[in-house]
Amino acid sequence: MSEFALEVENLVKVYASRGKPPIRAVDGMSFRVPRGIIFGLLGPNGAGKSTLLRMLSTLTLPTDGTAKILGYDVVKKPIEVRKRISSVIQATAVELFLSVKDNLLTYARFQGLDKATAARRADALIVEFQLGPEVDRKVQDLSGGFRRRVQVAKVFMVDTPVLFLDEFSTGMDPILKRQVMNLLRAEVEKGRTIILTTQVLSEAEDLCDDILIIDRGKQIARGDLNTLKLLSHGVYEINLAFDHLPENIQAEIAALSPIRSTIEANAIDLTLKIEEDRVMDVVSALSRNRHVLRVEVRGASLEDIFVELTTREGKELA
Amino acid sequence: MNAISAVVYREAKIRATNFTFIFWDLFFPLLYMLVFGVGINTAIGAPTGLGNVNYNEFFLAGILAMASFAIASNTSWSFFLDRDNGIFYEMLTYPMSRSEYLLGKVIFNVLISIGQAALTLVVGRLVLGIRVQWAKLPLLLTAMAIGTAGWFFFYAIFALRIRRNDLFNSITSVFYFVFMFASSMFYPLEPLPAWFRITALLNPITWEIDWLRYTSIGIGNFHSILLEGVAFLVFALACFAYAVRCLQQQE
Repeated sequence: MSEFALEVENLVKVYASRGKPPIRAVDGMSFRVPRGIIFGLLGPNGAGKSTLLRMLSTLTLPTDGTAKILGYDVVKKPIEVRKRISSVIQATAVELFLSVKDNLLTYARFQGLDKATAARRADALIVEFQLGPEVDRKVQDLSGGFRRRVQVAKVFMVDTPVLFLDEFSTGMDPILKRQVMNLLRAEVEKGRTIILTTQVLSEAEDLCDDILIIDRGKQIARGDLNTLKLLSHGVYEINLAFDHLPENIQAEIAALSPIRSTIEANAIDLTLKIEEDRVMDVVSALSRNRHVLRVEVRGASLEDIFVELTTREGKELA
Repeated sequence: MNAISAVVYREAKIRATNFTFIFWDLFFPLLYMLVFGVGINTAIGAPTGLGNVNYNEFFLAGILAMASFAIASNTSWSFFLDRDNGIFYEMLTYPMSRSEYLLGKVIFNVLISIGQAALTLVVGRLVLGIRVQWAKLPLLLTAMAIGTAGWFFFYAIFALRIRRNDLFNSITSVFYFVFMFASSMFYPLEPLPAWFRITALLNPITWEIDWLRYTSIGIGNFHSILLEGVAFLVFALACFAYAVRCLQQQE
């Protein structure tokens, strides 16, 4: 069996529709993911994350290239691949006409779990995901957040070695999200490999051992958080809070050409790509003759790196 | 095999816990027989040219075919529900082939239609006094099974190819009207104008109804029934092949 959970080689997906130019949703990606880690796929809307996940989970056929899960080709051996994966796709994929418990048990049945194990795991997950009061209600009568809980809970019913999560935390409250993240870490400790996409970068920062940033179907950068921070050398986040917002601050910020900036109440938050020795000059220029309540200067966060890399000219790094 | 039984289990769970489905699958055709059938039987008695067969007896095969047609239509509509909430796509990543998924669905449909047929035959015999030819029951149930499968695959093609629910509903409404009325479901074809008769003879539901009528009350010529049976089987197999192809193209 392959030492890699995932092997992708020159993978391409082109969507062709009559009368329109073809769209290369995934454009020649190649990468490998070792077993037993959380691998993050990051990218803006339309980057190709979901298409990539759909190919890896055998839902969509690639136009070209190969992808293997634990050594099994997704095109040539789809059933072998499906036996080894579970997926949470972006939509709230639940059985609307079934109760919460029946959703879990039906999923277990598809995955070939025996009745006693399925019942035991379902009971444990119902407690874990705080679904107790809703257990006998049909999912169609539940709110979007509860439906999402049911959907995510399903993948913990089984022990498939590879887990695909497409924006799993959508619709979850922060407490549950934290719990699920802990559960995911525990699954990785047991040896499972988790491939997740997210647009919540703090989530990726907290969870992922390895990150691939993609945009317009191409790889932009790859590595753990520290490696990515090196790629984004010279990016700083400056946060200033004033007693009141200075009148001409917007023009001053614009003149600095920040990667991104936000102004909220009496505080400004900007990300700049500048030389290290100029950072304090910028801070003092923005603070001059003003009553500053708070000053913070930080190195780049994943969000800064992401914005910087996905807006950079000539995006072929990796 | 596990995958097919899982699909059957899922369908059974959904249908058995939902009153709307139970009503449409099991009782709606029965109500048609008891209300419409009895009404027409009282008003016109025996249809022309069929000897001592009354309308209730004549209509029995129509009711059975209507049930197989309706069960297939209801199930194919569930493709839309499943697709809209995403479970359809998730299921396609479960450890099964797409043919197994389709076969699981059709097996469940066949089981429902056989259950429905048994209920209709018993009610028809006990309430309406229909003289059922019980000796031909295995042939009748075979006809129900193949009929339901054929219509399910036929509808599945449209459900899988059409993206919009409203368009699918419009098409199925037209199908209901055309297939049911341009057939031998409600009336014998012999007194009808030639163009109507030819249209009805080209309609696969007529083939199914004639088969069901022969096996339920013994009306019809065995050789022409056999020919119609083979024609329906070919229709069902062609629909299956194309439905699998449509399912393979889902992504």
